[in-house]
Formats: sequence, C-alpha cells, structure tokens
Amino acid sequence: MRLLVLLLLIAFLAAGVLLGALNADLVGYDLGFARIQLPKGAGLLGSLVIGWLLGGLTAWFGVSTGHRRQQRKANKKPAAGA
Amino acid sequence: MSFLYLLVMAVPAAFALGWWTSRRAGVRRSGAKVSELSSDYFRGLNYLLNEEQDKAIEVFLKLAEYNRDTVETHLALGNLFRRRGEVDRAIRLHQHLVSRPGLNDAMKTVALLELGEDYMRAGLLDRAEALFRDLVAMDAHAPSALRHLIAIYQHERDWHKAIEHARRLETMTGEDETPMMAQFYCELAERSRQHGARSEARDYLAQAFASQAQCVRAYMLTGRLHSEDGAYDAAVEAYEAAVEADVAFVPDILPPLLDSYERSRQMGRAEHFLRGLLDRYHGVSPVLALTNLYRQRDGDRQAVEFLTAQLRQRPSVRGLMTLIDATMDKIDGEARENFQILRELMRKLLEGQAMYRCSRCGFGAKAHHWQCPSCKNWSTIRPIHGVANE
Repeated sequence: MRLLVLLLLIAFLAAGVLLGALNADLVGYDLGFARIQLPKGAGLLGSLVIGWLLGGLTAWFGVSTGHRRQQRKANKKPAAGA
Repeated sequence: MSFLYLLVMAVPAAFALGWWTSRRAGVRRSGAKVSELSSDYFRGLNYLLNEEQDKAIEVFLKLAEYNRDTVETHLALGNLFRRRGEVDRAIRLHQHLVSRPGLNDAMKTVALLELGEDYMRAGLLDRAEALFRDLVAMDAHAPSALRHLIAIYQHERDWHKAIEHARRLETMTGEDETPMMAQFYCELAERSRQHGARSEARDYLAQAFASQAQCVRAYMLTGRLHSEDGAYDAAVEAYEAAVEADVAFVPDILPPLLDSYERSRQMGRAEHFLRGLLDRYHGVSPVLALTNLYRQRDGDRQAVEFLTAQLRQRPSVRGLMTLIDATMDKIDGEARENFQILRELMRKLLEGQAMYRCSRCGFGAKAHHWQCPSCKNWSTIRPIHGVANE
C-alpha cells in the first residue's frame, strides 16, 4: 500500500514537472492592487495549493470550534448541578 | 481564456478536497484518542469490579497522564488510593486537585470533601474537622460534611457537638436523626452517672426521651439509676418499659430486671411478666429465668418439667445445658460421666459463638455494644436467635 502511494506520488510529481515544462509561457494576473506575471503551470499549482489549504483550514477551524463549545458546556454542567 | 476557466474550476475543487482531507484526518485522530481512552477506562473499571485494585490504579494513572484535565479520573484514583490504605498518596493527589488553578468550584469542593476523608482515614481529625467545617460554612456538600463531622465528634466522644451537628443535619436533610441523638444523650447520662452526677444524668435521660420516646437504652439507664438509689419498684417499672419498647433486648434487660424483682420482693409479678413474655419473645432467656424461679419456689422437679416442655418447643443449647445441670444430681456412674462430657462439649460450642450481630454490617460480637464497632451505626447490634445462641 505504501509503495503504491509512493508510486502515485512520483507519477503526480512527474506529471506536475511535465505540465510546468509544457506550459512555461507567462500569464499576466491583475490583482487590482498589483500586476504579476507567472508561468501557467505555477499559477495552476499555486491556486490548487491555496484552495487545498483554505479548505483544510476551514474544516479544522469548524471542528475545533465545535469541540471547544462542547467542552465549555460539559464544564458548565457540574457547576449548575452543585 | 480557457486557462482562466481551468483556474476558476481548480480552486473550489482544491478547496473541497482540502476540506474533506482535513475533516477525515480530524475524525480519525479524535476517534483513535477516544477509543483508546474509553478502552482504558473500561479496562480500569473491569479491574475495579474484579477487586484488582493495583491494576486499576495503573490504568487510571495512565488515563490521568493522557488528559491532565480529567478531574473525575483523579478523584477515582484518590479514592482507590485511600481504600487501599495509601492515604499519603490520596492526600497528595487531592491537595494537587484543590490547588489546581482554573478548577470550577463544584469540582474543588468535591476534592475538598475527598481530602477531608483522607485526613479522617489518616487520623488527622483536626485537619479533617477544619475542612468539613469550611464546607458546611460554604454550604457545599453540607450533608456529607455534617455526617463526617458527627463521626469525628463521636470518635472524640464530644457528645454535645455531635448533638448540635445532628440537629443541623436533621434540619438540612429532613431525615430523622432523633434515635442517634437519643444515643448521644444516653452517652452523656452514662458519663454523668459514672462521675456521680445523678441529677445531671437524669436531665440527660429526660432529653433522650424527648428525642426518642421509646429509647430502650434510656429506659435501661433509668432502671439502673433507680436500682442504685434503692428504688427497686421504680427500677422494675423502667426495665419493664424497656422490654415494651424493644423486646429484642430481653437478654440484656432480664438480669437487672430479675434482680430488681427479687430485691423488691415481687416474684409473683416476675412470674406473670415472664409468662407474658414467652408468647411475645421466642428466645431462651425468659425460659431460663422462669426455670430458675420455679426451682427456687417449687423445687427441681417442677423446674425440669417446665424446662423440658419448653425445650421441645424451642430447642436451645443453653436450655439443654441448664437441663443437664438440673438432672446431674439424680444420675451417677457411666451416665453421669457421659453427661459431663456432653456438658463440656456444649460449653466449648458456646464459647466460640457470637451472641450478637449487627443488622447493618453483620459484625459478630460476644458482648452487646450500643454502637457497632465496625460500621459505627447505633442500636443495630442485636441478639442472634438460633439453637446455639438466644
């Protein structure tokens, strides 16, 4: 299983390198406050990474907030019962 | 243009993938922790149920290390240490809990209560008393704290404070503590009697009766006071009232009652009372008392006839020994020797027998105690009814 994951990882890495090499031409981005020029591949990879990170952070924040709320409720219960 | 479309589609897809991955990882992580904690908890519980306290302590210690905020685990551990007699460890654990910052008030007072019990167990009664008094003042776990305080005052034989706190407990919980208070007044009366303060003893007895109108011990003490004053008629009245209050104490009441009958020359009244008692009380004590009375008044033959008839209805080793003693003079030779062996055998049988048993905890005793030495309950030690006992 671990070998399969490793092979998949290498394949995706190779595909990323290949995609980056094939799409090396620059694309311009107007962010409103700045203008930047990035290779096509880097732009795609960057947006994927940013999206993935944002999604992960949102899920983590949601779960940890829920846990904290439950903990607070549990702490309040005995005090109310006493 | 087509590349920008690809980017617009890639960001939400990556977002969804990241969200899903994080969620899954979180669930797996907390699930693993919970299952490990709960399996440890049940393992500990299992050890506890199997009375394997060493192993239970090991598991709970591990649990407490996992999560230093788990107050309940620490409390359970402290309890276990105390029950195993490792009071110093229990004290350290509960002291640590009490001093922990951020612990809510409810848990802190529980830890204080436990610490007080540790001190009691360690014999540090002054510290335990101070803690329980604070808890009562804070109105936190006040009934439990009051019960512990009463136990401390009983141990120190400070009956006035014990009465005061029993009264507070009664007001607080609405439970009837009057039988216990009556016993405390009896203790005070007994102490006064021993010190020769007879009128003070009578005052305490009056308070005992005010607490519990049918207090057997107070009646018995009243009888004893009258008997010591030479007022045997009044003593008889008091002892008879004691029997009426609780017939179970007949074996303890009969000897001084019979003595008072004899000194006040009321043997006719004694016979009448004992005859009446035979119907209400199924022990052997009234039978033996009547046998003795008949032997003195009518001779051995009538006494043996009465005893034989009674033993058929209520077989008893003590009754049989009395029968052997009464018939020993009439037999001789080998039969006499056999009777002597039989008598010796029965004496040894009775020697090892507990005559009283606590109805709460089952503690067996040869002599009567008003407070059970084991469970510390009052008036729960009663005569055992059986062939070899009462």
